[in-house]
Amino acid sequence: MELLIAIVIGVLFGGGTYLILRPSLIRVVMGLALYSNAANLVMIACGGYSPDRTAPFVNSDTNSISTLMDPLPPDFILTAIVISFAVNALFLTTCYFVYLDHGTDDPGQLPVNKLKVENDFVE
Amino acid sequence: MNLLVLPILVPLFTALLVALLNGRGMLQKVVSLGSCLWLTGFVFWLLLHVDKSGIESMCFGGWEAPFGIVFVADRLACIMLCLSMLVGTVVLVYTFWTVTDIQQKYFFYPLFQIVLLGVNWSFLSGDLFNLFVAYEVMLVGSYGMMMVGANRGQVLQTMKYIAINTIGSTLFVVGCGLLYATVGTLNFADLAQKTATLSGSRAGLVTAISMVLLVVFAMKTATFPLFFWLPDSYPVVPAGVSGYFAGLLTKVGVYSLLRVFIMVFRQDGHVFSINVLLVLSGFTMLLGVLGAMCQWDIRRILSWHIISQVGYMVMGVGLAANPMIAEVAIAGTIFYIVHHIIVKSSLFLIGGIAERVSGTQEIRKMGGLLDMAPGVALLFIVASLSLAGMPPFSGFLCKLVLIRAGLTGGNYLIVFVALVTGFLTLYSMTKIWSYAFWRNQCHKVVGFNYRGMMAPTAILVVMTILMGLYAQPFLSLGQRAARSVLDPQGYIAAVLGSGDEEPVADTPLEVSEPSRDPMRLVCGQPKEHRR
Repeated sequence: MELLIAIVIGVLFGGGTYLILRPSLIRVVMGLALYSNAANLVMIACGGYSPDRTAPFVNSDTNSISTLMDPLPPDFILTAIVISFAVNALFLTTCYFVYLDHGTDDPGQLPVNKLKVENDFVE
Repeated sequence: MNLLVLPILVPLFTALLVALLNGRGMLQKVVSLGSCLWLTGFVFWLLLHVDKSGIESMCFGGWEAPFGIVFVADRLACIMLCLSMLVGTVVLVYTFWTVTDIQQKYFFYPLFQIVLLGVNWSFLSGDLFNLFVAYEVMLVGSYGMMMVGANRGQVLQTMKYIAINTIGSTLFVVGCGLLYATVGTLNFADLAQKTATLSGSRAGLVTAISMVLLVVFAMKTATFPLFFWLPDSYPVVPAGVSGYFAGLLTKVGVYSLLRVFIMVFRQDGHVFSINVLLVLSGFTMLLGVLGAMCQWDIRRILSWHIISQVGYMVMGVGLAANPMIAEVAIAGTIFYIVHHIIVKSSLFLIGGIAERVSGTQEIRKMGGLLDMAPGVALLFIVASLSLAGMPPFSGFLCKLVLIRAGLTGGNYLIVFVALVTGFLTLYSMTKIWSYAFWRNQCHKVVGFNYRGMMAPTAILVVMTILMGLYAQPFLSLGQRAARSVLDPQGYIAAVLGSGDEEPVADTPLEVSEPSRDPMRLVCGQPKEHRR
């Protein structure tokens, strides 16, 4: 099981890196989403997940600790999922506005370093 | 002590209230200022209380420490909280004059409270995952702050900022997971207890995981290989708020380095990661100041200086690898953080005034500010000399403590780099001074009343003078904070202790013992103590 999860994590991180390096903002967003899922899987693997372990406190008769799963990593994952969901939504919106502003979603075409930083008061 | 939750509850409810009051500018200002002032008073009281009667902790929902969420206020956390609220209040008053209608319409004041909430939360967190959540709250607030009332340039820079920080957060989660799998806990106190007993391959594993966290914190502090995002993103933040960002956000990273690398990781071979920090700090200082020298936008120059100044603080953390000088180095770092937050925020606020008075960001187009705004020139020269480390101000003393610690420990190379950086900082500040202030006026006069923005800026500048002239209380407070970071027994007892309401006293302090006094170490030991 751990080997399977490790392979999946590797594939997700690899795919995420590939997407982040593509010249398209929407792919960068997807790559970051893959990253956050990979990180959540790391958490699952670190919590010692295996199919023959059960959730704690559900069947209180199975009181042998070795058959129970650690409840803390799933808590962490829930929190991390919520956060990454919010941040990804915000990032997607930002990318959309960048696309509206500049008419392209290719980071190479965007004037990232050329555009003068215009502030509210400078004409 | 349940009151510990106030530094995050007050900004949270203020944010909600101020959001409901949207459209009534005056009321929003009064409510935000009232809550900031009140909370500033509270955190200063908390600092005095913790300094006197030991570390306070609180468990959420009564779940006891290693399992539940815990907030801990030790001296270091309280010092940072005080700075956060002090600079936050000053910056809030400053923004009353700079905020535009469109920014106010799109929730400027609620977002500012959210940033305060995130920063305060990260100082109080008692476990690593909670620190991650606090980081995220702080970052989401800062994303909003960068884009409030945004134009094209701001949105573009914010996009980069979000992308780099999302990658950082992913690594943070991975680091938390790996650490949990290895040690079985994420609570700082519990980790400090458990890593101290590790040795062999487990210890090596924890050191490897600490490198993952090092990348995360290096991204937040803008340490050497990962500083590229900072000079682009900070100048696009609205003028006043960039003072808060410049002062506090990177220092949250330095605080995390102190907390995690000095206090928590105590396994066999943890000195390795501290030495890595020392090497990185040299590059950070030098490259930061070299970057500043070839820039022409005032706030961009100041942003590059944040990088080089962060190098000094990381150097202080790195010097702690040598146990002989660890206490002085950490005390110097804490004093440096205090100095830097105050001076860098004031410089950004002054930069904001200079931009408004001259109507441009580029120092080559400014000029004549000395005649037009002599008060601003005075504030700038004091703050910039303090930043460069000139004697009467606080910048001199904290550099002196760090450099003295480096010389005592025999780290001559890093001391040399630090001195060269200080010299180049002076050059870079002289450049701003001679271009923006001393030259003849070469722009049209913008009829802008900057006097209202002067008062909050002046408060910070006066503080750097006071800290330079009357440094002993700050230094000895920093030293006491350093001692409880380096020896976490008091922290562990306060968090994991008996669990009931009985306050756990910190280790007794002997402040007056002369040989451990940092000032004594700076000014030289008495003859018989010398080898």
